[in-house]
Amino acid sequence: MDHIITLFFRSIFVDNMIFAFFLGMCSYLAVSKNVKTSIGLGLAVTFVLCVTVPVNYLLQTLVLGPDCLIKGVDLSYLAFILFIAVIASIVQLVEMVVERFSPALYGALGIFLPLIAVNCAIMGASLFMQQRIGLDPSSPQYIGSILDALVYALGSGIGWTLAIVSLGAIREKMAYSDVPKPLQGLGISFIVVGLMALAMMCFSGLKL
Amino acid sequence: MSKKKLTDSNSYIIIYSCLMVVIVAFLLAFVSSSLKPAQDVNVALDKKKQILAALNIRHLDNKQSAAKYNEVVEADAIINIDGNYIEKGTQGGEKAGFRLNSADYKNGKLAVYECNVGGERKYVVPVFGQGLWGPIWGYIAVNADGNTIYGAYFSHEGETAGLGAEIKDSQTWQEQFAGKTIYDAVGKTILKVLKKSEVRNPQSEVDAVTGATLTSVGVSDMLQEGFSKYQKYLRK
Amino acid sequence: MAFFSNRIKEVFLSPLNILNPVLVQVLGICSALAVTSQLKPAIVMGIAVTIITAFSNLIISVLRTTIPTRIRIVVQLVVVAALVTIVSQVLKAFAYDVSVQLSVYVGLIITNCILMGRLEAFAMQNTPLQSFVDGAANGLGYGMILVIVGGIRELLGRGTLLGYQIIPDVAYEHGYLNNGTMTMPAMALIVIGIIIWVHRAYFYKNDK
Repeated sequence: MDHIITLFFRSIFVDNMIFAFFLGMCSYLAVSKNVKTSIGLGLAVTFVLCVTVPVNYLLQTLVLGPDCLIKGVDLSYLAFILFIAVIASIVQLVEMVVERFSPALYGALGIFLPLIAVNCAIMGASLFMQQRIGLDPSSPQYIGSILDALVYALGSGIGWTLAIVSLGAIREKMAYSDVPKPLQGLGISFIVVGLMALAMMCFSGLKL
Repeated sequence: MSKKKLTDSNSYIIIYSCLMVVIVAFLLAFVSSSLKPAQDVNVALDKKKQILAALNIRHLDNKQSAAKYNEVVEADAIINIDGNYIEKGTQGGEKAGFRLNSADYKNGKLAVYECNVGGERKYVVPVFGQGLWGPIWGYIAVNADGNTIYGAYFSHEGETAGLGAEIKDSQTWQEQFAGKTIYDAVGKTILKVLKKSEVRNPQSEVDAVTGATLTSVGVSDMLQEGFSKYQKYLRK
Repeated sequence: MAFFSNRIKEVFLSPLNILNPVLVQVLGICSALAVTSQLKPAIVMGIAVTIITAFSNLIISVLRTTIPTRIRIVVQLVVVAALVTIVSQVLKAFAYDVSVQLSVYVGLIITNCILMGRLEAFAMQNTPLQSFVDGAANGLGYGMILVIVGGIRELLGRGTLLGYQIIPDVAYEHGYLNNGTMTMPAMALIVIGIIIWVHRAYFYKNDK
């Protein structure tokens, strides 16, 4: 139980997708112009993470790992292709569901839903999950069961949402600031994210 | 669209994707199986270099390292927590203790590299622990008396460069370990890493890396845990 | 000679300066930041991405008339994932230490938006040669930024370039200290923010 709580909070604050690993920066910078769309994209990413990471965990442990399907055969070189295939199909599914049940959200997120498929945060979470299976079980980052994988995905998603919503809020306020012309928009966003990342570093070494 | 293109028909899509999957799978299987031996050699070589670094044999190129490892390591034994042999290992071994990983270590299957450096017996033991950001590990070479450190090498996955990463990057820091005593008279592990101001017993306490308190605590815990596991073996 | 036609030249040069994929189009930021704490992994990553963009552009462009529109994204992903797998296997076999440093970020090339962006926007409409050049140029434009950021961070953070000491010992004797913060993730964001600032100030100074 302790392990799950630590894993959860670490993936929100310490191993934050944006601030520690810069994953999903493209859509992060493009969509964070205001709070409302930020929340939408954050939720979409969290949801997709929570589905894809456990599915890929099963894939990794039951099919891809050494000696899983056939003794003596290590299929891990197929990991990239299978992970991305799972992600692409699940994103497609989410897109259809959102379009059917929440046209407003669909309209707001527009082209960014398909972009989730190539959002590095989604693929990154699966790759980190794959790496963490090999860690030793006492490590706070260890993922050893499908529940761990789900908790890790949920934590990472929440961390990502937190990051994008706070940047959205800052950028809303920043519209009123007097930023030098060439620095406006992208430049200043980078610097703001950098400063946020510096602040987040105070969580490093967090132990529960 | 008035006229349906050939490429939009369902059967075309299905055939196309099947073909694609088969071609890609064969291509990847071919690449992976032809490069696998070279990759395995690299992984093994990297480990050998770390073991040699613990014996203060550093800065060799790949060929020299492999040769030196064969020459120096007399056996890669596996022992249990009571200090008894499970497997003896072989000269320049890659099959017994060499194969063990951190999970085996936790479960009490311990690797020991019995080495011969310039006619003297040295034991190299691997230790595994947690740093600030992720796993850390090390190889410690112990003299024949089973109580004095001959050399040490540490590495990590993602400690902060310039601070925690110094445990790997700073040879000077690793060299501090040479000559330290591991156990006290009753066999308690007294080897520690402490802040410079807290060092009371310089014979078995090592200065921490400046500015990397938590990584240093990790190293200290790792050594404490590791040497208690090896205590029965080393103090025989 | 056809190879040096104006079209090709334009295709080649624009991603290197005014249409730089990282600085202007904000593509592929994720990996740009994470691997740049030292120069060497930055260079290797730049080369890997250049090779992959160039060849995936070429392959997709050759296949472009045969690809069914409905599954084109999947086809693109599979081609990219296959290339990335090959590159990562080659790295593991011939440049082991770098592949350890790059860890999961090699896999994340798949979700690098530069790749998908170029495939969709360029390779699907243009001839193989042009697409190849476009891919290579975009990869180089991306690699260039990686090298600049990696160079700055390694020089200021460790006083070295490619592992060789650059800052003379005299400077250290007079109290110069390496800025360890430069090697932290957060500073990568700030460095890129400043590079964007300089880049915009230089190229857009005549804008109204």
